[in-house]
Amino acid sequence: MAKVVMDPVTRIEGHLGVTMETKDVTTSTGTWTVVDKAYSHTNLFRGWEIILRGRDPRDAFFLTQRICGVCPAPHGETAIQALDHAYGAVPPPTAILIRNILHGAYYVYDHMIHTYLLIGPELGVLAKYPPMVPPALGKDGIRALGLGSSYAACIEMQRKANKVVALWGGKFPHHTSEYPTGVTVKPTLDRIANTLSNMTELWDFAVNVMVPDLMAIVSKNDHIAETVSSLLDIDFNGLQDLGPTYGNFLSYGLFPDYNDYDKWVAVQDGEEGYRDNALIKAGAWDGDFKKFTHTKIKEYVKYSRYDDSITGRHPSQGDVIVVKDKPGAYAWMKAPRYEDKVYEVGPLARMINTYGLNWKIDVTNPVTGESFTFKWKVLNPKGSVIDRVAARVAQTVLFATKTMEWAIELKQFLNGDIVSTKIPDYRYVPDNAEGIGLWDAPRGALLHYTKIRGKKIENYQCIVPSTWNLGPRDDMDQPGPVEKALEGAWLPELDVPTIANALYPDKDIDASAFGLGMVSWGDALAVALKPLGLAPLNMEKSDNGKTYNTSLAITVVRSFDPCIACGVHFIIK
Amino acid sequence: MEFKPKLTRRNFMKLAAAMGATAFLTTYKSDIVKAVNEAKDYWHINWINAAACTGCTVSFAQASEPDLVQILTEITVGNSGLPIALPDYMETVHPASGSLAESLKERWKNGTPGKRVLIVEGAMQAEGFCTVAGKDMREHVKEAAEVADAIIAVGQCATYGGIPAAKPQNGQPNPTGAMGLSDFLKEVGIDKTVINIPLCPVHPDHLVLTIAAVMIGATPELDDYGRPKAFFGRNMHDEICPYRPYYDRGVFTRKPGEEGCRYVMGCKGPITWTDCAIRKWNDHVSYCVQTNMCIGCSEPGWPDKFSPFYKPVASLPAVLGVDFGTLGQGLLGAAAAGIVIHGVKRALTSGKKEEKKEE
Repeated sequence: MAKVVMDPVTRIEGHLGVTMETKDVTTSTGTWTVVDKAYSHTNLFRGWEIILRGRDPRDAFFLTQRICGVCPAPHGETAIQALDHAYGAVPPPTAILIRNILHGAYYVYDHMIHTYLLIGPELGVLAKYPPMVPPALGKDGIRALGLGSSYAACIEMQRKANKVVALWGGKFPHHTSEYPTGVTVKPTLDRIANTLSNMTELWDFAVNVMVPDLMAIVSKNDHIAETVSSLLDIDFNGLQDLGPTYGNFLSYGLFPDYNDYDKWVAVQDGEEGYRDNALIKAGAWDGDFKKFTHTKIKEYVKYSRYDDSITGRHPSQGDVIVVKDKPGAYAWMKAPRYEDKVYEVGPLARMINTYGLNWKIDVTNPVTGESFTFKWKVLNPKGSVIDRVAARVAQTVLFATKTMEWAIELKQFLNGDIVSTKIPDYRYVPDNAEGIGLWDAPRGALLHYTKIRGKKIENYQCIVPSTWNLGPRDDMDQPGPVEKALEGAWLPELDVPTIANALYPDKDIDASAFGLGMVSWGDALAVALKPLGLAPLNMEKSDNGKTYNTSLAITVVRSFDPCIACGVHFIIK
Repeated sequence: MEFKPKLTRRNFMKLAAAMGATAFLTTYKSDIVKAVNEAKDYWHINWINAAACTGCTVSFAQASEPDLVQILTEITVGNSGLPIALPDYMETVHPASGSLAESLKERWKNGTPGKRVLIVEGAMQAEGFCTVAGKDMREHVKEAAEVADAIIAVGQCATYGGIPAAKPQNGQPNPTGAMGLSDFLKEVGIDKTVINIPLCPVHPDHLVLTIAAVMIGATPELDDYGRPKAFFGRNMHDEICPYRPYYDRGVFTRKPGEEGCRYVMGCKGPITWTDCAIRKWNDHVSYCVQTNMCIGCSEPGWPDKFSPFYKPVASLPAVLGVDFGTLGQGLLGAAAAGIVIHGVKRALTSGKKEEKKEE
């Protein structure tokens, strides 16, 4: 057994380290090292919730966005949902549509940058697909080899998505325009027209670049599976065998319908439900659709740096006592569980709770009239790297379409109220109230809880997606989703170009523009990596003196789109 | 014929100040790219995230003029060798991870003397709250600052501490002893100038222009809080707010949906110095006041001295807790008090044409 450490895990938000204990597996072709157990360490603590105490409850909308600059908008929305609930009033249709448009555009940005800037490079390397590898050879490389063409295009496109967020939110990151029971921004035809023109381009990119890129990766999957299977003498089916969790998926629902907002609120009240008229449904899938209720959520702390007396509590009872040097504890995150079981949250959880394991999404661009159908059969019902990537692509297509539809629908509500009529003016704040906000951030289910006493925040709690996915073992010793997903991941003793050459030995890449002749994929990558000092990419020396390639393991971690600033914000008491 | 003044090292920040960041970038884009290309000689950038939310990194990726793709493909920076403004070290986007990523930090330290830029995002904390590769963040930043030839703090957290340095409003202390970079450097005995580029998050135009200025040797003139005067020299409310005519007519927004000056609902424009109102955000389409109000994120003491956000600015000393003499440049104490008292009178008289400006 060896110990292999990845710290820092880059191309995520925040400071994450992962320790892996290995085991050796011997087959007819050799002895191979795989991950036996994994431990996720989160390496930053800021104490956000305590900083919120004693403040005007509405400040939480501004301050909680700053928990995370990659996913600020969902924190703002969830804070506002908790305030809606505490105010005991519902937003008018105009406000619901504006919120949906803002967050729809935001989602398009977020899923795009993850697909291309964060997880894309490893997928591009594995699938010998230059458009998803960073443009390491610049414009010449883009022209001659297509190296980084989609990566570079994504940087341009995500900017357009955030332009739409700024139209409705003032700016991004950290928008300003939401208010308890509504919004502060007015619907104008100018904003609607600007939204439609930007979203049309984004829709085109999603359908005509992102989807083909995904399919290009998938088209290499059988080849990757066969090559790895014969090399290792194992049954490896491809990217769907990388990163499975437990087959349990949790979603709180996303993008409510103004026609029947009661179903949305009922789930905030603690009732069981699907929020089934929302675009993305709430649910607790465990092999079949199950209704969701927040009353079944508990947080455990056996391996977290908190006193055992507070383990197993619902967030509304969430009182935290730090024990910095607790024996056996290895994480700042707690371990949230649903019905005491481990649930994965995120894009795949949203898709499965809404569409099951077979997705067929028909969309029509309302501006151009173009139609498109996205089809996907979940390749691993316990979740996998490729299923998570596919779920993000599917949602980019779906949300880009819906954002345009909502913008068109908003034309009927140009003169509607933008906050509940129960709000007399900006001075009004309820004296005593509590509220719970349940929303889905791109990384998964997000909960905010606010308790107002004397018009001020007495207690504030967040349970965020990365706590679900990256949290440690619980009191029942069940590993968290990422810890589970890493088990069995192969840690080759070969560097990235060598593996690329093993997968793709043909010398079929014309590198004459760079003074070389025809080269193989691995050799081309070596040419790009070496001058940058990146030749030992993802290679980690372990405590047994051997050096392992962590590319597959780090891709598993990145497939969850970790966000550590979100996950670690706890109260120190 | 060319009527625009020639861009030089000397007039770089002056032109930026005179024209505003946006117009300056548009007018001089090719000159800036050319100047940076000539001066590049491999600048080494080390971008460290301390107690950060990564919002400044994301904001940097929203840079529009020159947009990031052009920087990606036209300007070569750093010994990363990438035709990318890819810093030698930047956790959020770098291809490398783990021990290789850490070795790039070391390589940055050994870069060409005079060419090493340190950019810090996020607040500095007491020991034990942030570690990377088993080493405390304080050590990472201290070691880098010791060799850095230029230091830029981006965003409200790295400049003045931001929310990580805020205190709960129930009398308890800040949970992690957080502070801005310049305070931290003083604490550990490093006497170097920090260029502070606040706002939450940093504005990409500000950052792109400051990096360009550093590279071509154009030293930005800084105010008392370390901010480039070119970007933070104007009062939002008094000098550049497009809603100012409402204020002068006494028309105030009192509930969502009403048009008017945002002063009464709590806008912090009167005590905020930044060019947001004319530069705007995300391809210059909007800014905070256009969809709600200003919360004052360019200023030291934010958020505590600006919160509750939905409360009108009452009087400057009460808000800032400092006397007028120590306030930033551009603010004459008496005139500023005049602004505020003027505003309060407006609020109280609810739109009546009263002009009792107290000096």
